[in-house]
Amino acid sequence: MNWNRREFLKRTSAATLAAMAAGAPMTSFLSSCNKKKTITSKADTIILLWMAGGMAHTETFDPKKYTPFEKGLESNRVLSTFPSFPTSLDGVSFSEGLQSIGSVMDKGTIIRSYVAADLGHILHSRHQYHWHTGYEPPQTVAAPHIGAWIAKELGPMNPVIPAFIDIGQRFTVGEGEELKAFHTAGFLGNEFGPFLIPDPSQGLDSVRPPVGMSSKRFERRNQLYNDLISQSPVGEFGSDYQKESLKRSMEQAYILLNSPEAKAFDLSQEPKEIYDIYNTGRFGLGCLMARRLTEQGARFISVTTEYEPFMGWDTHENGHTRLKDMKKQIDGPVAQLIKDLERTGRLDRTMVILASEFSRDMLMEGRPGAKVLDQVDQPDVIQDIKNYGMHRHFTDGCSILMFGGGIKKGYAYGKTADERPCKTIEKPIKIDQIHQTIYHALGIAEDAHYVVEERPFYTTPDGLGKPVMELFGQPEKA
Amino acid sequence: MNKPITNLFTTKKGCMLTGMLFMLSLLHPLLLSDGYAAGLQEVAEEAQPFWLWQFLGRLHPLAVHFPVSLLLLAAVLELFTFKNYRSSLRPGINLLVYIGASTAIIAAVLGWLLSTQEEYGGDTLAIHQWSGYATAFLGVITLAFLFLVERKKQQTFVKPYRSILFFTAFGVSVAGHFGASLTHGNEYLTSVLPWNQDNALAQSGSKFNFVSLRNDTTKLSEAQELDLNGQIRAIFAHNCYSCHSAEKIKGELRLDKKRMVFKGGKSGEVIVPGNSGKSELMRRITLPHNHKEVMPGKGKKLSEHEIDVIKFWIDKGAPWPDVADGQSVFRVAKLEPRMPALPASKLQSPIDAFVDSYFKKKKTAWPEVVDDKTYLRRIYLDIIGLVPTPEEQQAFLQDTRPDKRAIWVKQLLNREDDYAMHWLTFWNDALRNDYTGTGYITGGRYDITSWLYKAIKTNTPYNQFVKELISPTDDSKGFVAGIKWRGTINASQRTEMQAAQNVAQVFLGLNLKCASCHDSFISDWKLTDAYAFANIFADTTLEINRCDKPTGKFASTRILWEELGTIDSTAISAVKLQQLAENLTKPANGRLYRTIVNRIWAQLMGRGIVEPVDAMDNEPWSQDLLDWMASDFVKNNYNIKELIYQIATSKTYQLPSVGIKDANSLIAQDFEFKGMLRRRMTAEQFSDAISSIIEPVFADTALHFDPYNPDKHKKVKDSKKKKEQKKVVKLVNDSKEEPANALHPNMTFVRASLVKNNSFLTALGRPNRETVSTGRDSRANLLQALELTNGERLNEVLQRGAETWKQKYPGTDELINELYRRALGRKPQPKELKVAKDVLGEKPTTEGIQDLFWAMTLHPEFQLIY
Repeated sequence: MNWNRREFLKRTSAATLAAMAAGAPMTSFLSSCNKKKTITSKADTIILLWMAGGMAHTETFDPKKYTPFEKGLESNRVLSTFPSFPTSLDGVSFSEGLQSIGSVMDKGTIIRSYVAADLGHILHSRHQYHWHTGYEPPQTVAAPHIGAWIAKELGPMNPVIPAFIDIGQRFTVGEGEELKAFHTAGFLGNEFGPFLIPDPSQGLDSVRPPVGMSSKRFERRNQLYNDLISQSPVGEFGSDYQKESLKRSMEQAYILLNSPEAKAFDLSQEPKEIYDIYNTGRFGLGCLMARRLTEQGARFISVTTEYEPFMGWDTHENGHTRLKDMKKQIDGPVAQLIKDLERTGRLDRTMVILASEFSRDMLMEGRPGAKVLDQVDQPDVIQDIKNYGMHRHFTDGCSILMFGGGIKKGYAYGKTADERPCKTIEKPIKIDQIHQTIYHALGIAEDAHYVVEERPFYTTPDGLGKPVMELFGQPEKA
Repeated sequence: MNKPITNLFTTKKGCMLTGMLFMLSLLHPLLLSDGYAAGLQEVAEEAQPFWLWQFLGRLHPLAVHFPVSLLLLAAVLELFTFKNYRSSLRPGINLLVYIGASTAIIAAVLGWLLSTQEEYGGDTLAIHQWSGYATAFLGVITLAFLFLVERKKQQTFVKPYRSILFFTAFGVSVAGHFGASLTHGNEYLTSVLPWNQDNALAQSGSKFNFVSLRNDTTKLSEAQELDLNGQIRAIFAHNCYSCHSAEKIKGELRLDKKRMVFKGGKSGEVIVPGNSGKSELMRRITLPHNHKEVMPGKGKKLSEHEIDVIKFWIDKGAPWPDVADGQSVFRVAKLEPRMPALPASKLQSPIDAFVDSYFKKKKTAWPEVVDDKTYLRRIYLDIIGLVPTPEEQQAFLQDTRPDKRAIWVKQLLNREDDYAMHWLTFWNDALRNDYTGTGYITGGRYDITSWLYKAIKTNTPYNQFVKELISPTDDSKGFVAGIKWRGTINASQRTEMQAAQNVAQVFLGLNLKCASCHDSFISDWKLTDAYAFANIFADTTLEINRCDKPTGKFASTRILWEELGTIDSTAISAVKLQQLAENLTKPANGRLYRTIVNRIWAQLMGRGIVEPVDAMDNEPWSQDLLDWMASDFVKNNYNIKELIYQIATSKTYQLPSVGIKDANSLIAQDFEFKGMLRRRMTAEQFSDAISSIIEPVFADTALHFDPYNPDKHKKVKDSKKKKEQKKVVKLVNDSKEEPANALHPNMTFVRASLVKNNSFLTALGRPNRETVSTGRDSRANLLQALELTNGERLNEVLQRGAETWKQKYPGTDELINELYRRALGRKPQPKELKVAKDVLGEKPTTEGIQDLFWAMTLHPEFQLIY
């Protein structure tokens, strides 16, 4: 078995990669026009930790003045509902409940000036579409997810591990259809789409023989398949690309399902004390799986707290209370992920990004100056704790964490105002810059694009985004 | 070799040669030394080779003219001495031979120098080089024989001398010809022939002949400038854009925009108006064929004619009037219909007659048509999307009527519901119609399934079909109504613009997407054209947005081709749409009908006559066939079934399938038609095949659209919509299906085209129908293979199937035979039977059967339409 696999890998990994890079019939509009620029890549792997639903910056990584709850509290006095504490990065404080992440902040960069798009009526699914594809929906062609772009440009790190893995999002919950619209490789073709693992604790099922099938039987079945093909007169079809791609993909699937790499999906193999740190729910276990996947050679992994309307970070009421729980979900696993990656030396070539589609505020909906419909009634005076929290959507100042892959260690970029509206006042950064920064770390040229329906379609709109070079390198010593 | 030459020193006649041979003898020892040659190579690789060798090398083109003219002349004169060797011409001929042969050697040496010094290579060079060396060698032999005759007085050598001389003369002509090809390009000679005139120029419809103006010093008129510039831009577009336009900017040079052309590239300006001699562009396009810096670097070189036009244009000051952008440089298909005469052919079907003349032109022979079994499987999958049952296959094989293939095609077309359930998939993709998806949640999107199904089933004439979609009833409005996304959206995605884009793409094979944001770079369509067209779908006149920025300007309201009729801009949108529907579906709109016949052809043949099928301005592989089919389609009252019948019964459709190695060659513009292209089954065909052969893939409750009870679909839709409209903020998932009634007796299983999209179908290629989709990817990939290998759905279906089959077919042989019969329409071969039996054993287990099913469904012979 092992011999088979090794032999196969040796023989076909180059061919597989080459084939993966080649266009499909639909995508054959995609004449690649990408200049081979010599960007020295700083990272091989991207892990995106997705805070789905709108994570309030003032309640997490960019705390402002704390006003404790009391009956009769005026809403306009409240900027943060938690006290803050200083992190391991000088001059940077986090909101209470994020102590573990605070303790590793000296290993990465915090961006406090992400400005989300102005899409009018605030909608999570559209802003998430925008964040993940770099394009405002709708588009005339299906825009690819950033993970699909990366899969297309770089292929898998290890041929048997799918290049784009998405952990934690189910599509059966509310707005599933809207979420599907961007969890796709779009015009790049299905091949580069996400390998979905909705529940990391069941992740192994996605990559092992069907439930109830012994590995012996699995192998026998595959043998039967190969034997029947070799005996059939179908050989007369020669080397059709359809036939070849079918056989090749089946071989790949067989290898993956049988490979030692598949154990990356098996969380039960993790030492208990480590597993327990990660086990804060599906998100935490997703972080653990992401870490295990990087050890086997993964390219792009997205782990989400999962978007479901009015759940998770999407706090339309009870914000303060619910955030305690959300912080518990992310604090331990995220910090442990960074520590584990650093301990094994992988942080140098792995970039971890923690982000959300936009932020929240108690009073401001959208951004200053752009009047949009308030979606949540917020009383002027708070009588009930359920009204104590950031329940409206705010797009003008959001926090993003970045670790590894050449990103500065211990650095704060951008700034928001200390008084309401707590909007970006220094170094605003937009989605195309974030994407280009990620692409740059991977060595993908800024103007990478494909021609679809005879038009060039770039990784970021019109190929105009620029990486923020300031985020890379070593921070200047004060 | 040196002997005759040294003897020449004693003659007067040899004096002239002495000097040249002296030069040669100086070089001679150097050339033989390896070390020197290696050094030369090294030098050649560096930027500046030693000047003397380079200089001498470049004397080659000059030196060659001596042997060419002298030896040829000697050969000609020799003809006059056949009767009398000692004619008065003899001394002259001898002199010609002496000098000619010697210069041939010198030229060969200089040529060798040149080839090592400069960047030459390729076949032409090789032929030239070796024929040159051969000529020089022959020259020496001629010289030797002549010497024997003249000095040794041996008359017996006269004949050999003459033969060798003529060989030499022939050799020098060959070498000379290929040398000229190197310098002037392959097509130097042939390009001026009237039947080889260049297409690019022909297409641009040049109005004046620049040659007549070449020596005219007067200034060009404005019209002439415009025309000349059009020719130049056509040459650029067809020869240079692939590397030097917005899409790809090699050497930082763009030739698609006036400003960029004159700005130049990385190495500075490429055009010096008024001075072609100093223009880099001119230098690069006139470099020798195999030179490293020659342009175009890839593909066909510019013809002499094109080079002349460019030279003339630059010398005239490179005029580029600002209004020139109105001139087309893109291929534009004709709008009007055309009914070409049927070519004379022994073949009955007009399609075959056109293909026959195409094959003749391509020197392709007609292969034998496929056997009955293959044909039957094809028409089943192509017309109703199902594989034939063994009983049907048996009946077909036993049918002895000579026209049984046509009869069976007709029968399949008459299976209205099966036909409609199959073609529903194609139209759902194209019309962006789906049962779930973005937009439905807020009532911003309309399902047209009931209308669509009925239209397909009743074979609504295509003109009527298009009319009802463009000027819709409540049931068919989903297509032009588009998807209304919540929040602000890009101006180019407002629903009116979506309608304009989608109508253009689906019905007219036209990409209007570029032009809905800015003037198109890939066609002549302008932003105002797109807005004028979109205005037809709007209640008010839309403000033009350029790249999402309002311009404060407004376009008129008109159809893309005004000759199709006018639209009353003051009317309400319903009236405008009615006018649009009437005007677009006129028979005069050949484009509408070419687009649909090309789509249907592509569905049945694996590739359109024009590809991509959404780009109808591209060149068809047979214009006549496309034009005839489109016109005939109109003549047949826009009858889609008739069209399918025509194709499916043609000999052309019955040819053996053709495979392609590289998916990219599918849309290559130099595609050569040889027969139907093999395809993989679509997600729906695959799923339905499993359902009919093994076990239904979808539970009865998964039926989303019930064709036998379409009203129910509508009611559910409406009640859902109302429910959803009430929830503005509270978005609650509504995944629970209403309990379904029992399936209609005509339905033995739920066909995949009638269920909501799911991960199984998605993995197999059913698109997310938020944008128009007019083709499926035929290539397998890892995610798909994973879904098929360990996906729950297939696994579970095959397991259930195995349990049923275990009861039904207790014997191993019986079971294997039955599976092969149903799935592949044939008996297993002895080896196949053995392999399968080894797994199943004497008493098949559920697991064994399930595994056999799995291997069978993933078998290429099962998955391909061949």
